[in-house]
Amino acid sequence: MDQLHAEVGVAQLSKSGEELCGDMVEVVRTPQSTIVVLSDGLGSGVKANILATLTTKIAASMLQRGIPLEEVVSTIAETLPVCKERKIAYSTLHIIKISNQGLATIVEFDCPASLLIRGDQVLPFPCQEKIVSGKTIREGRLLLQKDDVIVAVTDGVIHAGIGGLLRLGWGWEGIAAYLTAENLVGVSAEQICRLLIHCAEGYYIGKPGDDSSVAAIKIRQPRYLTLFTGPPTERDSDEKIVKRFLAQPGKKVVAGGTTANIVSRITGNPLAVDLDYPDPDIPPIGHIEGIDLVTEGVLTLNAAIDRLNRKDSLSHVKLQDGATLLARMLLESDTVTIFAGGAVNPAHQNPHFPSQLNIKLQVIGKLQATLTAMGKTVVLEQF
Amino acid sequence: MNKLIVEICIGTSCHLLGAQDLIETIQELPEAERARVEFQGVTCLKSCGKGPNVRINGVTIPSVTPQQLIDIIRDNLFK
Repeated sequence: MDQLHAEVGVAQLSKSGEELCGDMVEVVRTPQSTIVVLSDGLGSGVKANILATLTTKIAASMLQRGIPLEEVVSTIAETLPVCKERKIAYSTLHIIKISNQGLATIVEFDCPASLLIRGDQVLPFPCQEKIVSGKTIREGRLLLQKDDVIVAVTDGVIHAGIGGLLRLGWGWEGIAAYLTAENLVGVSAEQICRLLIHCAEGYYIGKPGDDSSVAAIKIRQPRYLTLFTGPPTERDSDEKIVKRFLAQPGKKVVAGGTTANIVSRITGNPLAVDLDYPDPDIPPIGHIEGIDLVTEGVLTLNAAIDRLNRKDSLSHVKLQDGATLLARMLLESDTVTIFAGGAVNPAHQNPHFPSQLNIKLQVIGKLQATLTAMGKTVVLEQF
Repeated sequence: MNKLIVEICIGTSCHLLGAQDLIETIQELPEAERARVEFQGVTCLKSCGKGPNVRINGVTIPSVTPQQLIDIIRDNLFK
């Protein structure tokens, strides 16, 4: 069966007057699955944040270590303290686990039911009640299809507008009706979350009465990108590596002048170089037929890492320099394979040049760490 | 009339050593001269330590300053 990718989006609002959100979301990716843990701590502010953080961290750490879902739920159910006055648990727990084959397993404890968006329909994710360690949970399994979306919300979203714009609040049905009415074809998980949270904020008239969180998981085909940077240490292996690079699935990017010359020589496709400098600090891009992006090497890679860390700037259409184009492509990819050649350009050892030039492998390590922190799978091959 | 082919390296070293100034110099040439120059970018002229490098009609010239580039272009155009 083809592998599927679970794209995760999150958006949150803190209760009016609070700096910290009392809801917490953790996303864990293992080689076999994507796991999202959402928890709503009792009350608001610091106390709620600590309770929710504890719950999500315990669950996420256990799941990351491969401990079965049932065991994680029973451990949390046994350890989750109960408020003596209100007789309710100090935090809710919502776990969504999606295998690479698309099998979704959901566990809900004291939280609103998950919404399943399939085509133009919005349905409750099918779950059944179950008793674990004396606590009633809801559990469900479903094999998802491409373009299915699961949405999890905390009660702050359900109750948006209560007593104000909406007498009884937005409600689960209200959210489902909103999602049904919106055209969500081609809309990312992140955008779905932003749509819902903006709407909730609107119902609260800009002053949320409760912490509100939305997590959405969209199932789609994985997007691959291979970045070839630096000539191979052994010149004899140029052809073998370029052929392997061209056979990689998804988008292909070449970063580095000499690397671009090697690809051009072996493919027989000429390299054309732009002479426009959309950003004076970034050398111009080039073009080789069959390659999605050709850029300069280490300066562009460094600037791309900076741009990935300031994602908001990437949405400016006017920015068209090599580093921005590369950062945008990396951001859209789920699995990034880096072909890193080990040949060193002696001219780069100039003491007057920026220090990062001498340590290209360190730049690649930084790129790998940045992409991994964004939840992307990174494969590094050095030769 | 054959055009003068001017290739400017925009690789990492040449970029840091001032290739952008050379590009601007060519773009600012008087129209009559600019029309006689075919202007291209390349990613490496294999002389990275001596940048910025320019190749004019197939001959690589290292460590070129903007004024030297204007002089070389005029020498070639009017010889």
